[in-house]
Amino acid sequence: MGSRAFMVFLTHRGSSINPISNVSHLFLKKTPVQYKNQRTQKYFSTKAKSSLEPPNLPRLAETARISLTPDEVEEFAPKIRQVVDWFGQLQAIDLENVEPAIRADTEGDNMRDDLPQNFQNREAIITALPSYEEPYIKVPKVLNKE
Amino acid sequence: MALTFFRGIKTCPLIHFPSAYFARKNGYFYCSMGSTNTQFATQEKQQSADLKTSQKTHKKSADKLLKDYEAVIGIETHVQLHTLTKAFCSCPYSYGAQPNTSICPVCMGLPGALPVLNSKVIEYAVKVGLALNCKLSLNSKFDRKQYFYPDLPKGYQISQFDVPIASGGCIDVDLPVEFGGGHRKFGITRVHMEEDAGKLLHTGNGNYSQVDLNRAGVPLLEIVSEPDMRTGIEAAEYAAELQRLVRYLGVSNGNMQEGSLRCDVNISIRPTGQQEFGTKVEIKNLNSFSSVSRAIDFEISRQVLLHSQGQADQIVQETRLWEEGAQKTITMRKKEGLSDYRYFPEPDLPGVALTEEYVDSIRDSLPELPETKRRRYEKMGLSMQDVLFLTNDLNVAEFFDATIGKGADIKLAANWIMGDIAAYMKNEKLSINEIKLTPQELGDLIASIKGGTISGKIGKEILFELVAKGGTVQGLIKDKDLVQIVDLSEIEKMVDKVLADNPEQLEKYRGGKTRLQGYFAGQVMKESKGKANPKLLNQILLEKLNAKG
Repeated sequence: MGSRAFMVFLTHRGSSINPISNVSHLFLKKTPVQYKNQRTQKYFSTKAKSSLEPPNLPRLAETARISLTPDEVEEFAPKIRQVVDWFGQLQAIDLENVEPAIRADTEGDNMRDDLPQNFQNREAIITALPSYEEPYIKVPKVLNKE
Repeated sequence: MALTFFRGIKTCPLIHFPSAYFARKNGYFYCSMGSTNTQFATQEKQQSADLKTSQKTHKKSADKLLKDYEAVIGIETHVQLHTLTKAFCSCPYSYGAQPNTSICPVCMGLPGALPVLNSKVIEYAVKVGLALNCKLSLNSKFDRKQYFYPDLPKGYQISQFDVPIASGGCIDVDLPVEFGGGHRKFGITRVHMEEDAGKLLHTGNGNYSQVDLNRAGVPLLEIVSEPDMRTGIEAAEYAAELQRLVRYLGVSNGNMQEGSLRCDVNISIRPTGQQEFGTKVEIKNLNSFSSVSRAIDFEISRQVLLHSQGQADQIVQETRLWEEGAQKTITMRKKEGLSDYRYFPEPDLPGVALTEEYVDSIRDSLPELPETKRRRYEKMGLSMQDVLFLTNDLNVAEFFDATIGKGADIKLAANWIMGDIAAYMKNEKLSINEIKLTPQELGDLIASIKGGTISGKIGKEILFELVAKGGTVQGLIKDKDLVQIVDLSEIEKMVDKVLADNPEQLEKYRGGKTRLQGYFAGQVMKESKGKANPKLLNQILLEKLNAKG
């Protein structure tokens, strides 16, 4: 559960671009939104554990497809453990009589009608691709998902 | 391990044509896929001929083996919703468009871009959920499923995990008459919404793959069945019924060749009577109902054989691919434990809340579903064969309904549609909406024949004209002067003429060669240009032939 909760942050969009800045980012930004996340996370978990396992950093890095040097592992491990411990504190809150929140409340539905609209600056997207050969995006050969 | 396994196949004559044990079943798709009917029938014939010579001795023992085991089959189906735009952005989607033209920062997963849900996705999901008799979650949400693959630009798929929009339903199926028929009810575990990934092409040479992201973000419904199916036929019919259902509902074109309806089959076997499930194997790459059926039958044979040879441990949890060319399944990847998708609630999207009023309004707008239609046609007195044919294609069913709505005789309308009209559509490769004949005119044609205005033979001629060129029955009858001749004196005149023109035959007839009556009848009909009422014609002809002198 602890490592799972951590993954929420680690795999948050954009984190693979610069893991270092992102991880440090985590420590600064303890906003109420994250509390909400924790609650939904609880709803998610199949079994509630009272104490959280210490994070396995090499495994976390692997699942997020980022590579860390041994030095970095050493540097981040205690920081990440701190985050996990912080979740551990949240785990202690008694939610026995609290109905699980599926999602944070938002105003209104926020849906759109099914009306097509072409994105006007497709060229910019294509130009930014690391490898493109009209009309396909080129990627290293992949045959299996695992 | 794989090696020993293949050697096992080679040395065992039983498995050379595992699907051949089910050869009878290969003819199935005639009901669901009328146009391939003859093709399958021939294949079947050839296959069973081959069988008889090479497999005669083994067939008996194989059948016996299969009887000792029961297959447990569940199906995961992905249905592509035919919305105009993608699920979370306004990019239009059209199959076959130039690659990578329908993309934007949202479906490309660019930083800062935020998804906004297409309201049609909810509408279609609720429609399918209700049509599958599911319980709807009035409050559900989207979740992120993380995996890394180049067809998924964001690094995660927006899906639904622990709270699917619909769950706990069922679907009714009528098995094709050729396979013994029968009615089945299969459970539906859940229906959830998610987005499609892009398309990957693995070019033959070169060490790279090509990606087309037009499809990335296109809305899908994943429909998961309970493991309620036991044979390839049941599974294929389940898939065919889902196709009919989404087409009737108008939420998807259900086209398997385009990948708008994709089936992944989970299959395991167990000795008859055993409660626990065996090890399950997943089969992918099934792009027709016949491949669903044949892949399952192959897989059952393969697993039963391993089981019966004491090699049950060689049945491992894995994903296998159906090879259409070789008609067999091959290992694609072995599962190394459960994948860790690290699901969590999608933070960029609000929850999905449905109101009772909304659900009720959609329930009220549901069209007549295939199952209801079948039961209705059955009650009208049509045979199951007719019922299955007419309800298979919604357009055909609507044409039929419109025709009988004009007061046409039910059985006659069914016969015309299933006979000459279906044959014409097949030859010209047209759908029933593309032919020039309207239900109004078919109704008129049937009434004109029934009322005696035109003969059945003329009716057929008119039909082909109507189907190919259009026009009205009354107009054609008038233009071509086709009204049936029921005037006794007129027919008498023609009979007299024919008798006078054929003195020799007349003599032979009167000498005892009464078979010649048919010849005379034909001549008179020819004389009348096919318009003489056959009953009156024969009546008068007989009188005159037998009149002495």
